[in-house]
Order: sequence, then C-alpha cells, then structure tokens
Amino acid sequence: MKKNNSDIFIKNKILRIVFGMFFLFIIPFTGCKKDTQKKYIYDVNSAPVAQAGVAKPNVKSTVEFISIAYSDLFGTTIDQAKLTSLGTAYNAFGDKKLIEDLIIRNFLHTTGVSIPTTASMNANVPLFVTNTYKKFYNRVPNEFELWQLTNLIRNDVSSTPELVYYAFMTSNEYRYY
Amino acid sequence: MDRRKFIKQSIMATTAAYTFPYILPSGRLFAASGTRKADHVVFCLFAGGVRNLESVHKADGNLMTNMLTGTEAISTDILPGMDLLPSVGIPALQSSGTLFKEFRYAQGPTGHFNGHTTAMTGVYTTTELNLKAPPHNPTIFEYYRKHNSPSMSALNSWWVSNALGPYPSLNFSSDPNYGALYGANYVQPTSFISQSSYSVLGNPKNFNSAEKTSSSKIKNVLDKNFGSQYKPGDAGIENTSADALTLETFISTNFANAMGGGYTDPWAVGANTMNDDMRNVFFAENIITTFKPELLVVNMQDVDICHSDFTDYCNNLRKADYALAHLWKTIQSTPGMANNTILIAAPEHGRNETPNTLIDSHGRYALDHTGEIVSGRILSREIFCLVLGPSGVVKQNQLFSTVQGESIDIVPTIADILGFYGDIPTNYRSNMGSVLNQAFV
Repeated sequence: MKKNNSDIFIKNKILRIVFGMFFLFIIPFTGCKKDTQKKYIYDVNSAPVAQAGVAKPNVKSTVEFISIAYSDLFGTTIDQAKLTSLGTAYNAFGDKKLIEDLIIRNFLHTTGVSIPTTASMNANVPLFVTNTYKKFYNRVPNEFELWQLTNLIRNDVSSTPELVYYAFMTSNEYRYY
Repeated sequence: MDRRKFIKQSIMATTAAYTFPYILPSGRLFAASGTRKADHVVFCLFAGGVRNLESVHKADGNLMTNMLTGTEAISTDILPGMDLLPSVGIPALQSSGTLFKEFRYAQGPTGHFNGHTTAMTGVYTTTELNLKAPPHNPTIFEYYRKHNSPSMSALNSWWVSNALGPYPSLNFSSDPNYGALYGANYVQPTSFISQSSYSVLGNPKNFNSAEKTSSSKIKNVLDKNFGSQYKPGDAGIENTSADALTLETFISTNFANAMGGGYTDPWAVGANTMNDDMRNVFFAENIITTFKPELLVVNMQDVDICHSDFTDYCNNLRKADYALAHLWKTIQSTPGMANNTILIAAPEHGRNETPNTLIDSHGRYALDHTGEIVSGRILSREIFCLVLGPSGVVKQNQLFSTVQGESIDIVPTIADILGFYGDIPTNYRSNMGSVLNQAFV
C-alpha cells in the first residue's frame, strides 16, 4: 500500500510535469495572438489637393519663352531670324518682365495671331477658361481656379479673349515649366 | 484727459514721431548712415585692355588729349591711322580731379570679364569665375540699392555695357543676401536700340486703361494662385509698375530717335568715326539726362582691337578719351547732376609688354593681355584711375605718379561717396579694397 501510494505520487508528479511542460511550451504557440499583420486606421483617406503636374520648378530659357509664346499664339514655329532678333533684344535688357510684356504685345499686334472670338468665349466661359489653362499652363484649372476666372470674365464687360491671353502670357506661371 | 492717459499718449506719439520717418521702403529702419560726398557717381570702365604705355605714359604721344594735359605729338608712323576728332570744348579732365597714374589690377586672370567683375564687386576673381552666371560677390549696384535707402529705385542704378556675352550678368550677383532684387537696370544699347530689335519690339499692342484694368485683375488672380512657387528675382531685376511704364516710354523714344537717324552720328564726329564705345556712352548720356541716376556704370571695349591692330587700338583709345570727355560735359550740363557727380574712370586691365606676331598696316605689332611677366613686371596689371568731381569734394589737378590704389578700391570708394560704405556688413567689406581717400578733399 505504501509502495502503491508512492507509485501514484510519482505518476501524478510526472503527469503534472508533462502538463506543465505542455502549458508552458505548447499553449503559448496555439493561444490567442496579437494581430500584427493588419493595421486599422480610422481616418479620412488622403487625397491630393493640387492637381498632378502643377509643380513647375524650372524657369523657361530665353529661347524657350519666345518660341513657346510664338507657337501658342500663331500655332506655328517661329522662324530663326525672328527668334534671333528677339533673343538678342531679350538679352540686351535687364528687366525681363518688361521685355516679355513688350514681346507678347508685339505678337498680339501681328497679323496671323490666333485668338478665339469674344462671342465664342461668352458662349461657354468655363470651357474657354479650361482651354486657356491647357494652352498656356499645360494643365487644367482646379475647381477654384475655374470658378474664379469664370466669375471674373462674366462680371467684366471689358474682358476679351485677347486680354485673357495677355494676362496668362505675362503671368508668373507662364515663365515656368 | 487724466494725467496717466496723457503721459501714455505723449510717450507713444513721441516714439512714433521718431521712428516712422526712418522706416524706409526697403524695410530698413535707418537710412544710410554716412555722409555723402556727392549724390551721383558715374563709373566708366575704360576697358578693353589699355596699356599705361600708350595712355598715361604717352609712349606714342598724347593720345588722350581730352583727359591728359600735354601736347606730345602722336608718333608719325601711326598718325595716318588716326581719325579726325573735333574738340569737346572743355579743359583736360585731369585738371578737374585726381589722376592715379600707377593704379593696379593686382590679382586674378587678366581677362576682360575678370577685370570687369573685380571693378564692379570690389573683390579679385580667380580662374573659377563662371562666364555664364552672375558673380558670387555682390556688385556695387546691390550694395547701393540695399544700403542706400530711400533712393532704392532700380531707375537710380544702371549698367550700360557695350557688348553682350557674359556682361549682362554683372547687374546682380548670386549672393543670397543680395541678388536680383537689388540689381541695376541693364542695357546693351547697340543690340537693343537697333533696326533688328525695333522690327520685333517696336509695334506693341497698346491697351486702354479699362483693358489694362481688366487684364490686371486676371493676372493678379493667376499670380496669386502661383504665389507659392514664384521666387522673386527669377525674372532678374524688376522695376515697379510705374517705373516700367517710364522705361517703356524711354525705350519708345529711343527707338523713334534711332529709326529717325538720331543714332547715326549724334555727336557730329562723322558717321564712320562713331564707334560702339561712343554709341554706348551716348546712350549712357540719354539715361543721365532722362533719369539722373545716382549710380551708373558704363564701359568701353573697342581698344581690344589691339589683339590684331595696334594702330587702330591707338585710334580707339583717342575715341574712348573723346567719349569720356563728352560724358563729363553732359554730366556738367545736366541740372541735378552738374557739380554733384563724381566720375571715376579706369581700365579693367592693361596689355602685355611683348607683342604677338600680327603686324598692322602701319608696321606695328599687336598686343594681347595674357598676364605675361617680363623682368618681374606684369604690364597687363598696370592701369590708371581718374577721379573727377566738384572742387570742394575731389582734389583738383592732383597727380599720383607712384604706385597706389587698386581695382578693388573702386567699389568701396563709390560706397563711401554715396554714404553707405559703413552700412555694408563687415564680412563683405573685409573682402574689398580701401576707400581712395587721397583723392578727396
């Protein structure tokens, strides 16, 4: 009896050790796990405010400014002699904005310049504004810009496509790409 | 009003009265602190490479009779190559100021652009100087416009050069503390006021005031929307809208004058005698009479023909001398600038002692300017400097025949004349030369 009791005690001890080992080594690997794979962010999805392509870090060179302006207004490439004359005049005066203004106003005063009519502008001002942005800034206006420009043009009886073109071509953004 | 309130308001009013007059358009609190010697400075870079031998040492006679006293005859072998020039009708300039006969361009490559850059920044250059970019050190124009408020309008400072190439970039530097915002108006007249430029710029569309307002409204909106990306100075020097209008009128007037033949022989010296140096100075005179600028720098470079033709070099030296005297005469007949202007003239560098292999039609060898050393002497570093001004300000008829003064002294001297030398930060001043005090009363 004494021996039986001792055997049972030993068996119980072994069982306790086995279960202990089981709980110690197995349970931690099979129990609940912290989910490290998925992340939940409860927030509004981020969205770009500015339209793609609006960043224009580079200033146009003399030749780029003149030849692009010419193409924008005449729909054709400027001839080399005219480009040389304009380039020389451009480099020979320090205030570039003043010279650019003179260049644009000379272009606007030249036969063959291609500008929409006031009637076509007034027929669909938002479309005119969008097309003007595309033509001179190589981008579409954002909603705010479209609203601003459309509003300005509609509320100003003096506004003509020529004046809008002049404003775009002498604006700061037109100097950059 | 109670006593406490009265005292408080009195203190505030007194503080305002003392403070507000000194808040200048530049945003600075105080005007230039120094006393002015004169209200206008004209600096003529008598450039192209002038050797002291032919100028102040008169090795081939007095080729500069308008500047230098003396009747030394011109060498007979080159005399047939000299154009006839009428008299300017004023005494030799030397008598109206101080002549440094042994001025020095002491360091840096003996190249035209290096010499110009040194004279206009007050700092010697190295072979690292980039010909395609503005200089690193601020130019005299930037010091003037930044430290000499309230006279800070760009219409008050001009750089008139007789050639394009790298010279347009000398109206402002790349220094982040200065730059285009403080630059000078720049013009290269013989390219700008020409038939070619007139044909592309002479017929602008003119908008009426309602149209201008309409277009301005749109432009303002466009510029505001692009404001975060636009960097002031990207378009170079900018004039205010009002000044730009004045400038456009000035351009139109000059176009009309030139197309009407007014540029062909404006000084009645003969159309074939009038060279680019003279036309450049003529345009500078137009600026002087129109704008009365406080600071104008004009250069001449036609003597550089000396690389291939020594006799024509001497001929052009005479024309440069004539042009300088004409410039001084114009200044003295312009109300506001007469007796209130200091004129400084100096070449950017000299020329070699040893000629090259080219011989002109009068049997003379041509000269380069390579910094050649002969018996320890570098002739291309030996130049002169003439300082002219009112008798109460500039020492009259004074001659220094010993070595004194350097190219890097001109910028601090101009700053001192216009009263802002002390306002230039020490770290910039320490790079420059010294004020040519010995020229002044």
